[in-house]
Formats: sequence, C-alpha cells, structure tokens
Amino acid sequence: MVHWLFAAGILLVGLCLACEAIVGSEVWGMRRWRAYLWPGLAFALGVALWPVMALFTNSAIHMYAHGSWAEVLMLAGAAELGLVHGRLHSPLWRLTWPLAFAVTGAAFIIHEQNPWFFARSAFLHHLLGWTFLVSALVPLALVWRPRSLALRSGFAAVMVVVSVMLFADRDVAPVFGHLSPQAGVQHR
Amino acid sequence: MRRALVVVLGALALPAAASAHATLRSTTPHFGTEMQSAPREVRLRFDQRVTILPGAIRVLNGVGTNLAGPARVEGSSVVASVRAGKLGAYTVRWTAVSADSHVVSGVWTYGVRIPAPSVNAAFGAGGPTATEHFVRWLWFLGMALAVGALGFRLVCLRGLEVPRALERRITAAAGLGAIVSLQAGIAAFSLRSEDALQLPFDRFLYGDLSPMAATRFGHAFVVMTLGFAFVLALIFLSWLLDRVDLLVPAFVLALGLLAGLSFSGHDAFDAGSSWLTEMADWVHLAAASLWIGGLATMALLLWSGAPQLRRQAFARFSRFATVLVALVLVAGTYLAIVRLPELRDLWSQGYGQVLLVKLGLVSFALLWGAFHNFVVKPALTRGDEGFLKRIGRSLVGESLVGMAVLLAAAVLVDSKPPPQPAPQPTSAALVR
Repeated sequence: MVHWLFAAGILLVGLCLACEAIVGSEVWGMRRWRAYLWPGLAFALGVALWPVMALFTNSAIHMYAHGSWAEVLMLAGAAELGLVHGRLHSPLWRLTWPLAFAVTGAAFIIHEQNPWFFARSAFLHHLLGWTFLVSALVPLALVWRPRSLALRSGFAAVMVVVSVMLFADRDVAPVFGHLSPQAGVQHR
Repeated sequence: MRRALVVVLGALALPAAASAHATLRSTTPHFGTEMQSAPREVRLRFDQRVTILPGAIRVLNGVGTNLAGPARVEGSSVVASVRAGKLGAYTVRWTAVSADSHVVSGVWTYGVRIPAPSVNAAFGAGGPTATEHFVRWLWFLGMALAVGALGFRLVCLRGLEVPRALERRITAAAGLGAIVSLQAGIAAFSLRSEDALQLPFDRFLYGDLSPMAATRFGHAFVVMTLGFAFVLALIFLSWLLDRVDLLVPAFVLALGLLAGLSFSGHDAFDAGSSWLTEMADWVHLAAASLWIGGLATMALLLWSGAPQLRRQAFARFSRFATVLVALVLVAGTYLAIVRLPELRDLWSQGYGQVLLVKLGLVSFALLWGAFHNFVVKPALTRGDEGFLKRIGRSLVGESLVGMAVLLAAAVLVDSKPPPQPAPQPTSAALVR
C-alpha cells in the first residue's frame, strides 16, 4: 500500500517533468505555480517518508533505508524549490539529485540481501537499486546541460519507470515463473 | 477533463493492499502483559510462513534459565511449550527465517502476577553505555540549538531590523539543530533496541524493533521524529518564502516536542513520579535548552553577524535568561528532592554524584551569567564600547559551559536514581 502511494507520487513527478521537457521550461513556467509543482511534490514526498520510517519498525534496516530516502528526497526537493524561487542561484545545487539517486540506489541494494531471482520483490529491489545508481548520471549531466531535451526526457523517464517498478513490487509474487519454495503461499 | 484527472489521481492514491516483508503480527502472551497465571505456551504469528532454527524461542526467567521447549511451526505461527514458571518477570527472545530468507529476531517481556518490565530491561540487556550517553548529549545539543535559535530570533530580536545575512544564519542554525535532533533520535532508538535485542550487528539489522516502539520511549521517538521532520520543513519554508511568522509554529512545536523525553524518562516512570514531575522535567529541559541554545546563537551568530544589534540583543537576552534560569532552578530543585529521598544520596549514590557534577557546572555557568548580567550589562548601558568588543569570547565560553551541563544531563538521564523508601504501613494496617 505504502509502496503504491509513493509510486503514485513519483509518477506525478515524472509526468510533470515529462510535460516540462516537451513544452520547454518557458511555457511550463508561464503559470508560476507550475514551476513549483514537481519540486514541491518531491519535497512533500520526502516529508511523507518520515512516518514510513518511524512507524514501520519491524526491521532496523528498513527503518534506515526509509530514513535515508526521506532525507535525500527532502534535500533534493528543497534545493530545487530554492532554485525555482530564486533563493539559491548556483546550478551546482542540482547535484543533490544525483546524490539522491546514488543514496537511494545504494539503500535499495544494501537492504535487499536475496539474489535477483528469489522473488519478484527481490528482483525489483535489485532492479530499482541499479536503475537509480546508473541513472544518477542523467541528473548529473543535467547540472551542466540543463537545456538538453534528451537529458530532461531521460530524467522524466527514469521517474516514470521507477514508479512502474514500485507499483509492481510485491514480496512473494513470482518473477518470470520462478518462486522460491520458501516464499510461502502466493497472495494471488 | 478535470473530472477524469480526479478519477485518475484517486485510482493512483487508493490502490488495493500489497503484501509486506515477513512481519510479526501478534504474540501470545502479548508484549508487556501482566498475566495472572504462567502461560503454557508462547505463540508468534507472522504474516507469512517462516522456517525455524534450533532455539527459535527462548523464555528466560529472572536468572536466565530457559523454560521453553523445542519450537514448532503451525501454519504461519511458531509455537513453543513453556514449563510452569513462578511469579516474576520473563523475557522472550525469538529467531526465525522469514520467507525471503532473512533471519528476523526480536524480544519482548511479560510478567506473571507482577507488571512486565520494559523491553529495555529484558534479561540480558546491559544498560546504557558511553556511546548512548554521547548520543543522548548530541540529541540535547540538537534540540537546544533548534529551540534556542528559534527562541532567540522570536523573543530577543522581535521588532528589530535583522540583517538578511543574520536571518539566514539563524534559520540555518535552527535547521541544523532539527537535523541533529532527527539523527540523534534515530541513533538513540537504535542503541536502546540493540541493547534489548542483544544481537550482533548483522542480525540486529533484521531485528524486530516493534516491541521497543511500543514502549513510552518508542512512542516518544516516533512523535519526536515526525515532529522534528515537520519543524525542519517549516524552517525551510520560512527561509524559502522569507516568512519569519512560519518560525512561530516551528518554535512552539519544537518546544512541545521536548516533552517527549520528559514523558518517557525517570520523571514519568520511577517511584514518586506524577504528572507534576513530568511537567517539571519538561519545564527544566525547555528552559535550559532555550537558555543554552539562545546564548550560543547570540555568541556565535549575532556577535559577528550584526554588531549594531549587540547592545539591544544582549540586554533583552539578559532579561530573558533571568526568567529561564529561575525556571531551571525551581524545576530542577523540585525534581532533585523527589529523586533523592536522602541528602547523603548526593555523594553516596552514582545518580547523586552525577547530579553533583551537574550542579557544579550549573553553578559555574550561573556565576558567569551573573557577571554578564551585573557587570557587563550596566557597562554596556553606560556606552562602554571596549566591553562590547571583548565580551564575544566570554559569551562563547559561557555557551561551552552550558554544553557541558547538557553532557552531565545526558549521563544523568541514563543513570538509575536511588530507590525510594518503602511506604510506612498505616496504624490501621498494623492493627489488622
């Protein structure tokens, strides 16, 4: 449920980024509130991750993973809001996005100790982790080429792909027909 | 179009339930239950089938004897029979291999005809360590910085023309305090849980912390984590939108969150505790945090950042600090009287000795503050500019003593107060 709620939020961020990439920042920013939309949503998602961190204490490592995502998402959203509002000026603040991607990817890979094909959840955790780690290069390149249509579209696409993976994430569902006998009764 | 958008957003926001990782759903006996007779079995219900290892469930009495028989799996439950135990406190330690092959572990306590001890007093828990004292100190420092910086800005600089650079620095200091509070809170909760679980680090990472989250300290951790995240968001929005008024709810919330420690510490649990001791502890902590954090803000940020405000800010903070110190002393004296039934406990008991060190440091800080209030303030009023230039370092020195007071407070919070004397039987009881 929680994964799906955050998938919905990340999907909205991705769609906003896609719209901005398609129409261009000038058109997107003609209504002032639109410029704040996805940075504000990212910041709000970061704040909303704190309850997940504090209330899901059934294992320490999940608590730390959710805490690290809350922090980096708040940081990246806050930096983007600062740039949009004119409180921050250096484009280097956008380095918070590759940082957020790298931390998020590492946290996904570290907190999943099963191999790739153990179950769908394990597969998607590995896939999410490596997707974030590899695609950290996209926001990193955007710091120096902020107007590149390809990079901006890539940034949006990463968000949409990540949200789809989160929607598909289920603990004991089979992956490619394979499921460990330890995974128990299937949920559907 | 708009309606379609609402439908799509609703569909995204309200999905059907998805499954979670292997989680302990319930236990028999329940966490922290006081039972009238010893249970015949211990049962753990998981959200999915698990496999077990030898010694999956251990039920330990007060001297560490295991009363549990071999564990078995029944569906998604793990069950072990328990030999009949006497009146006393019991600790259940369990381990299972979850469906995704992670070894998950946990601990909880129950009592037979006595109240169950807190999970951090489970059999095998070693009690606070030097690391825990240090983390608790960082927690105090973070909260003092957040509350003190916000309080100093809103009370001592109210109505003054504050330069933007100083405004930014004060906001940054308050934000840093909130971040340190969040991190130190997580570390303190983890250390407590690690002590209760008594597991090596790699297994602790998959340890079930929910019994610890169900304690008062756990509730305080949850509320304070969520609260300080919100405080951080408000501080950020205040900076982003240039709205000082947003610091007001941040300040009030941060001040209220300090109560989390008061309502989960000695003054909420130990013999002699009441709502009055909890309130006194909160007033003591809040006033000390405002005093020390405000002083550090003035010494480190205002003195170099806005020389033109030094005189007014100093005079205002002196008045403010007088009230705060009075609150610290009144609440602290009351709590010392409640905690230490005998005067000799001050030098004969560990708790009293730490309190003596703290009192010594507080006295030193008070003397330093009195020098500022009775010597420096009148000189500044007379217009002695020489004092203004020299006093910055002195303020930093007083702040450092204040931080040392917080270190002593951190050790004191983790120390065990001496036992309260048993109540005298009434004459009616004696007659019976």
